[in-house]
Amino acid sequence: MPVAASAIYFLNLRGDVLINRLYRDDVGGNMVDAFRMHIMQTKELGTCPVRQIGGCSFFYMRISNVYIVIVVSSNANVACAFKFVVEAVALFKSYFGGAFDEDAIRNNFVLIYELLDEIMDFGYPQNLSPEILKLYITQEGVRSPFSSKPSDRSVPNATLQVTGAVGWRREGLVYKKNEVFLDIVESVNLLMSSKGSVLRCDVTGKVLMKCFLSGMPDLKLGLNDKIGLEKESQLKSRPTKSGKTIELDDVTFHQCVNLTRFNSEKTVSFVPPDGEFELMKYRITEGVNLPFRVLPTIKELGRTRMEVNVKVKSVFGAKMFALGVVIKIPVPKQTAKTSFQVTSGRAKYNAAIDCLVWKIRKFPGQTEPTLSAEVELISTMAEKKSWTRPPIQMEFQVPMFTASGLRVRFLKVWEKSGYNTVEWVRYITKAGSYEIRC
Amino acid sequence: MAPPAQSQRSPSPSQPSGKSEVSDLKLQLRQLAGSRAPGVDDSKRELFKKVISYMTVGIDVSSLFGEMVMCSATSDIVLKKMCYLYVGNYAKVNPDLALLTINFLQRDCNDEDPMIRGLALRSLCSLRVANFVEYLVGPLGSGLKDSNSYVRMVAVIGVLKLYHISASTCVDADFPSILKHLMLNDSDTQVVANCLSALQEIWSAEASTSEEASREREALISKPVIYYLLNRIREFSEWAQCLVLELVTKYVPSDSSEIFDIMNLLEDRLQHANGAVVLATIKVFLHLTLSMTDVHQQVYERIKAPLLTLVSSGSPEQSYAVLSHLHLLVMRAPYIFSSDYKHFYCQYNEPSYVKRLKLEMLTAVANESNTYEIVTELCEYAANVDIPIARESIRAVGKIALQQYDVNAIVDRLLQFLEMEKDYVTAEALVLVKDLLRKYPQWSHDCIAVVGNISSKNVQEPKAKAALIWMLGEYSQDMQDAPYILESLVENWDEEHSAEVRLHLLTAVMKCFFKRPPETQNALGTALAAGIADFHQDVHDRALFYYRILQYNVSVAERVVNPPKQAVSVFADTQSSEIKDRIFDEFNSLSVVYQKPSYMFTDKEHRGPFEFSDELGNLSIGGEAADNVVSAQRVEENDKDLLLTTSEKEETRGSSNNGSAYTAPYDGSSTSVFALQTHIESAISNPTAADHSPQASLAIDDLLGLGLPAAPAPPSPQLKLNTTAALDPSTFQHKWRQLPVALSQVCLNTQ
Repeated sequence: MPVAASAIYFLNLRGDVLINRLYRDDVGGNMVDAFRMHIMQTKELGTCPVRQIGGCSFFYMRISNVYIVIVVSSNANVACAFKFVVEAVALFKSYFGGAFDEDAIRNNFVLIYELLDEIMDFGYPQNLSPEILKLYITQEGVRSPFSSKPSDRSVPNATLQVTGAVGWRREGLVYKKNEVFLDIVESVNLLMSSKGSVLRCDVTGKVLMKCFLSGMPDLKLGLNDKIGLEKESQLKSRPTKSGKTIELDDVTFHQCVNLTRFNSEKTVSFVPPDGEFELMKYRITEGVNLPFRVLPTIKELGRTRMEVNVKVKSVFGAKMFALGVVIKIPVPKQTAKTSFQVTSGRAKYNAAIDCLVWKIRKFPGQTEPTLSAEVELISTMAEKKSWTRPPIQMEFQVPMFTASGLRVRFLKVWEKSGYNTVEWVRYITKAGSYEIRC
Repeated sequence: MAPPAQSQRSPSPSQPSGKSEVSDLKLQLRQLAGSRAPGVDDSKRELFKKVISYMTVGIDVSSLFGEMVMCSATSDIVLKKMCYLYVGNYAKVNPDLALLTINFLQRDCNDEDPMIRGLALRSLCSLRVANFVEYLVGPLGSGLKDSNSYVRMVAVIGVLKLYHISASTCVDADFPSILKHLMLNDSDTQVVANCLSALQEIWSAEASTSEEASREREALISKPVIYYLLNRIREFSEWAQCLVLELVTKYVPSDSSEIFDIMNLLEDRLQHANGAVVLATIKVFLHLTLSMTDVHQQVYERIKAPLLTLVSSGSPEQSYAVLSHLHLLVMRAPYIFSSDYKHFYCQYNEPSYVKRLKLEMLTAVANESNTYEIVTELCEYAANVDIPIARESIRAVGKIALQQYDVNAIVDRLLQFLEMEKDYVTAEALVLVKDLLRKYPQWSHDCIAVVGNISSKNVQEPKAKAALIWMLGEYSQDMQDAPYILESLVENWDEEHSAEVRLHLLTAVMKCFFKRPPETQNALGTALAAGIADFHQDVHDRALFYYRILQYNVSVAERVVNPPKQAVSVFADTQSSEIKDRIFDEFNSLSVVYQKPSYMFTDKEHRGPFEFSDELGNLSIGGEAADNVVSAQRVEENDKDLLLTTSEKEETRGSSNNGSAYTAPYDGSSTSVFALQTHIESAISNPTAADHSPQASLAIDDLLGLGLPAAPAPPSPQLKLNTTAALDPSTFQHKWRQLPVALSQVCLNTQ
């Protein structure tokens, strides 16, 4: 039986219950004590997010300084439960206006009760779509003063809309200026060996949209992905234009996308929800353009001295630049003194994370700054334990660059009233887990 | 809802005690109750909010019940909602007060605003007070017929709630058949979905007592219902889709064209953004094609990409849930995933629960073409800061070595581990080298050379020490120093705290003795004397057994303790295929994460009563609340570990009962134990041989330089071991379970 939850608890880091909802009687109220005693107060915390204590199973995840714990007594659907929690948190965030933490919960008890009652009934997830919930939820997050009276909304007739075929969009939306924002956000995951060979590399990408469109618009998105282009050339019986086509390993779509049409015509067509949403997600493993190469040489000179040389090469176009580049170079715990020379940016030693942190705010393409550092170590008694050399980690954002090479070919908006729209398209590539062993 | 218990355990001293605040609120509410001044609703809202906040932080505000109900005589929906919340929280502990609210809730169930109707109905059904059930039937009946889908949706779940409070009332009111009608005809898919969940629960529970209910339950997975739901699947919310898909897995299509129709219809669900939908779809695909081997393969190929995407997106918890499923599939069909091994490489910052699953998958998918890369990668993890993961990865290398034919490179790696000079690395590597040698004795020369350099002083962990000692005994002819190392270990007998190590030491000294008698003679004597004086039952028994068997006949002893060995070809699988299949049947549920079928953790008789005691802290490992909760893996491992010990114990008990020492029943799955028994049996059933024993024993005593005061020459060759050793069954069980004996040991010692 796919019950997702018998009870849900929100706990702070000390284990105090901030708020909870018991959906079913098959778990006792003292369950949370069991969680506190056997998970929170032991080393078990964080070793596994699914745990059984007695006859109950606990699923928990930490979000900022709050633990969200789901308790079930049956053989529940775990994936569903975690997804539910993630979605619920996203929903809370949209009501709180950003942060989801202990304070936000304390300030919004009534709202959270209201939401918890609507999104799940007797352990079965109900409607989590923010658009529709707006119709039922009377409270507002505390971010704004309690000004507009929620009861002023035309609540009664609004409930009828749930039955409409398009569950994620209300009818009768009007905007003066019709705008669509589309962001392609990619994160590159890399694992490179110390010899410079790529062990593992993939890109997970998201197409994020913000729609401010009147009425019930129909949108069509064309990308330079291989399947889509081939299908198109087939349909129009003309050869594919030369140029790069991208092979997507796997794609998933927001529920608004007409999947039947995607499978037959390979076009992404949809009636968008109002506001912000994630249109699609994709994954690519072949032909990834790595934005950065890192060439480290780390020499241990005797027991108390190390020499670190790191060269970082940007391999994207010379006109582009990366922002917020951070390179974390691990050093042993017993580091005593460091001195640096960098050709760009700033570096310092952060003892809390045992890393040399090198920051470059603006990093142009086709350049290769270097860092050379000398590290002095305290000689300790426990010298037998040699240093394990964690990998170098990197953070960055490269605007107008996609590691996959994916591009938007067209974005068409069609609405029966025939208004004009303005479309904005942006690209950005971020570092996912970008690790270089040294 | 804050359970009332919380109010006693007032969260922190900084919280207001509440008494004065509550009476303050009471006063204010009373003032507002009758007022009709403009803006009064706003002030009421603020007060209500305060009340709810107090309630949530655990202050008992139940004394405000009357005032709250009075103030709620309003049309303001915000106030009503908060009042419902309040009532729902305190109704259960104050049924008398709750009676007050029934009236106004029932009235609200007929409100003209559908939202109020729905909310009131939900609150009414959530009171969970058994003697109110008669008040529920009416509003539920009209709720199910309501023109508004929101009300119907709430009413359907209300029926389920009623069923859990009073099943007979629910069935008598004929609600299930109304639900069935709604399920098949309602225009709103959330209503349909809720009907489906409610009916599944109700009919499953009723099926045991009523034939009609079990027929109805079967009818849910009949062709018309399934097709009806499948045809509407795109209209359902993502959560409801999971529900429908779960139902579809139970459906048995009549022929293969039907299977393909369903799969074609559902294929696009694999692209759904919600991972739960994707997993549910995967389950349908896997179950539909179970009988069609070729298509089943293709399904694996098809679902690979979506699964890998799910793993790499979302929070670690989510990817753990998905990884557990991927893990199951990888274990079932490793060859399909062998080219995707790079997806199972661990990232440095991943939580260890994710890493552990990935390590197991890496081990499983290793084949001729990728072993080199995988082992190289695993060796990187051996230097990991996370020591448990480092250990796991060394074990993984070992497992790969044991499942591959080309172990050449791997042996070198393992030997490099031994040279890393980290205690835990050495320890794990020693255990592995031992297993490796048991399977590939031909590598003994290379390994022994390295193992010989390890000082036994640097090895502390019992398992590793036992492995080292085993190798010393087994390969004593090739290791120059073996007898002397063993001797020094024997000299420190008293400092060795692990019985496992002492047992191994006894056996190793015996083996060494047969190979290099003059050098070991002394050590063996000391070891046997120390063993017989040992307080640990098993060590004592084994020492005595060796002593007697040596006494009886040295060549028999050699055949028992040090027979020519055959390489182990396959190490036992820890989980039976039946259990694995059951877990597969329960795909997309907790079973997969726990790696055991659901009856092991949900049935009452399989898990112990849940009580709060310090002992529960130990539950963490496998949940020993009851014997069966110990993960199947461990149970079986223990079974094997303890085979020898069991039979010995059984023998002891048997002899004390009726003197027939060797008829004790035991599960003879280990042939080596059989061998041991036949040896002994022949020894006993052969009276002529027994006649020699006095002389032999004297000779042995002389040889070993033993003057055993505690062990006078036995009057008869029958091994009447310690007749007083009988334990009552529960203590025996208890001890048995606690015995920390290694898996390998049984086979080793008896070989």
